[in-house]
Amino acid sequence: MFDLDEMFYRELKYIIYLVAFYVLGWGFTPYKSVFLGLIFGTCLSLFLLWTMVSKNRKLTKAAMEGKKMKSVGTLSRMATAALAVTVALQFPDALHLVSVVIGLMTIYFVIIIDFFIQHLRQK
Amino acid sequence: MTGSLGLIAAAIAVGLAAVGAGIGNGLIVGRTVEGIARQPEARGMLQTTMFIGIALVEALPIIAVVIAFMVIGQ
Repeated sequence: MFDLDEMFYRELKYIIYLVAFYVLGWGFTPYKSVFLGLIFGTCLSLFLLWTMVSKNRKLTKAAMEGKKMKSVGTLSRMATAALAVTVALQFPDALHLVSVVIGLMTIYFVIIIDFFIQHLRQK
Repeated sequence: MTGSLGLIAAAIAVGLAAVGAGIGNGLIVGRTVEGIARQPEARGMLQTTMFIGIALVEALPIIAVVIAFMVIGQ
């Protein structure tokens, strides 16, 4: 349970399933902008997950070797959120803003829900 | 476009979010590094706990940044 790589691949799998579901929604429903916004936000949230995991690995390695590390990547993740909102505001016809924000937040919900599921399974 | 008050509101939102995220992340990472230094064999568990902690801490500042940019953009 408490292995970061295992957790990362499991969450990656969930997110890819979710994106596949959104693509189906984009293709077969009239709510194109909503699903496109969700796809865009979720793809960016995948980037957030990847930066979090890679910075985490680097930080642990640096702590083990007694080296220093300057940042955990908070600023780049905030900048990603800003980029998502800016793009959504630039193209309001193609991307639904609220969907982009929900998509961006997906990874945090996935991490929390996955943690609780694994915690309950371990008991 | 928003007026100067809107820009100030956005700046305050992003600034306070960054302060919150910085303090929270600092506490989490500091304690994790301490824990790793004390018990290197518990590295995997501490790493995962730090990951979840960082995710929980950063969710709210990111929402603050989103709201700030929405205020600027409208």
